Amino acid sequence: MSAFLSLRLKRAAVLSPPLLWTILFMFVPYTILFVYSFWLKKYPTFEPAFQFGNYLEIASDPQYFRVLLRTIKIALLVSLGSFFLAYPYAYFLAFKVKRPGVRIALYMAIVAPLWVSYLLRAYMWKTILGTIGVLNSFLMSVGILTEPSSIFLYNQTAMVVTLTYIFIPFMVMPIYAVLEKIPHNLIEVSSDLGVGRVCTFLKVTLPLSIPGIVAGFPMTFCLSFGDFITSFLVGGPDGLMIANVIATQFGASLNWPLGSALALIMLVIVLSIVTASDRFERFSEGKFA
Amino acid sequence: MTITRQLIAGASAAAIFVAPLSPAMAGGEINILTWEGYADPSVIGPFEEATGCKVSATYVGSNDDFAPKLAAGGGVFDLVSPSIDTTAPLIQAGFIDPVDPSRLTAWNDLYEKFRSSPGIRANGKVYGVPFAWGAISFMYRPDKFATPPTSIAALWYPALKGKVSLWDDKSAIFVAARLNGDNDIYHLTDDQIAAAQKKLIEQRPLIRKYWSTAGELVDLFKSDEVWISNTWAGYQSSLLAAEGIEVVEFIPEENAEGWMDSFMIVKGTPNEECVYEFLNMAISTLGQCGVANVNGYSTANPVAARECMTPEQFDILHQGDPDYLDSLLLWENLEDRLSTYTNAWNAVKAQ
Repeated sequence: MSAFLSLRLKRAAVLSPPLLWTILFMFVPYTILFVYSFWLKKYPTFEPAFQFGNYLEIASDPQYFRVLLRTIKIALLVSLGSFFLAYPYAYFLAFKVKRPGVRIALYMAIVAPLWVSYLLRAYMWKTILGTIGVLNSFLMSVGILTEPSSIFLYNQTAMVVTLTYIFIPFMVMPIYAVLEKIPHNLIEVSSDLGVGRVCTFLKVTLPLSIPGIVAGFPMTFCLSFGDFITSFLVGGPDGLMIANVIATQFGASLNWPLGSALALIMLVIVLSIVTASDRFERFSEGKFA
Repeated sequence: MTITRQLIAGASAAAIFVAPLSPAMAGGEINILTWEGYADPSVIGPFEEATGCKVSATYVGSNDDFAPKLAAGGGVFDLVSPSIDTTAPLIQAGFIDPVDPSRLTAWNDLYEKFRSSPGIRANGKVYGVPFAWGAISFMYRPDKFATPPTSIAALWYPALKGKVSLWDDKSAIFVAARLNGDNDIYHLTDDQIAAAQKKLIEQRPLIRKYWSTAGELVDLFKSDEVWISNTWAGYQSSLLAAEGIEVVEFIPEENAEGWMDSFMIVKGTPNEECVYEFLNMAISTLGQCGVANVNGYSTANPVAARECMTPEQFDILHQGDPDYLDSLLLWENLEDRLSTYTNAWNAVKAQ
């Protein structure tokens, strides 16, 4: 009995710090947010209530749906962009680079920017894409442009480029981790059996790397989905993201209840994406394993 | 632009000012939530030395930052300096303690218009100490305009596509409403707001970027992204002049908004002695010429301004010109219409 008790105590001791962390910094804040979302905006601040007015407003005013759709579009483009850049890179690292030193160096080249301030990396794109920026100067010096173009900065493309650059490590890392673990002899077997390279890739390598893709995709999607700095730095007049709207509700409008309702809707979207990718991963494991 | 050159010259002279501070050492520490430049070392240094009150300043990016920071509680700040459109909700929300004007030496020197402003008064008490004021004027690159613009309509010229900027603020609604001829900008009807919104959506293809911070607008002008925008009169133009970029400010035919910032005491501050020392300093020659030289803003105390400014600076800042002050559409609290304005502006950006 006492041995059982001490085991339970030990378990509690090991589990309690993370549990406490989760309760204090996840469960409690989200509950507060949830409660706030039913409150009522009343000048000068807001007051406790239980009503669905905030959710109704979000449903009835098209601006919220429009911004939400735009945010999803940008996040999707960032995830796709990151994927199409990250997969070949990770593949190259895992299968083509033979020397471990070179491989580590190339891997670090992707990871190292993560150590630089996020704000600085976003800001840097402003100096590259601007009217008198690096890109324009280069294009003019090689004669492609005769005068600086303003099409590079302050639009949604600039936001997608910047976000892709910032979040691509989160796509490279999981894909590389999976590709690296694929036994090379599986690929050799495939070619021994007379299957072509492309077919081997599609039938062996790609299916085995799905867990990496499924880990990277929601990560880059959710990170870009919640971003508001890029809109502020390189976004144009059509660059408003859902996180910017939430910031306005907590600031300029002083409408925390509406802001909370928006934040919860955002949370639900993010959670459904994470859940969906989790389901997809299990499904694909069942199919290919 | 000569105004800004003179201001820069004035800034270097700021160090020379010696303010008549009370010799009694109060001691202690105060935290101020304020605008950049309002707690400049050239002012805070002499103040700390004279009073023994240490000043820590936190800066806000917009008037919208005051209420959320105070609503979050925590008793961190002793003084805040919101603009006149933001003061009333802070008072009504119970974030602010009244001021005792009899403890302020220069109170009666302040512009009567500010002292009696409904924005700083409630229940027969005074809640704010007027500090600085100015216009939301417009600013353009003279080398890009054959004829100098005189109307807000210039921000809607199709020829300026991609070279226009506008403050990312509900103020955009005020601008568009005036262009529509709706001059009661702080009491717009729903239809008028919708019309202003329509005007702004029309303008959007011409916009390069909506600016959010003072520095951002300076960057936009500096890197040749933008040629015309609204601006915090005196401030960004002087920063640009310091970078060697020539800009001209103008008050359009449709008039300009005016703003006035007041220092307010946060409810229950434990540092009352130092708070009053600071308030007295803020409206003395030290504080008043400090903000005039650092930010290029006009000051709330014309008597102090007369003492510490050159006659040219006094004129440029319209310190002796009550008609100019009266011509500005001084910001008003929008009360429960605030969300309607901000949501209309958000909807423009959501298009």
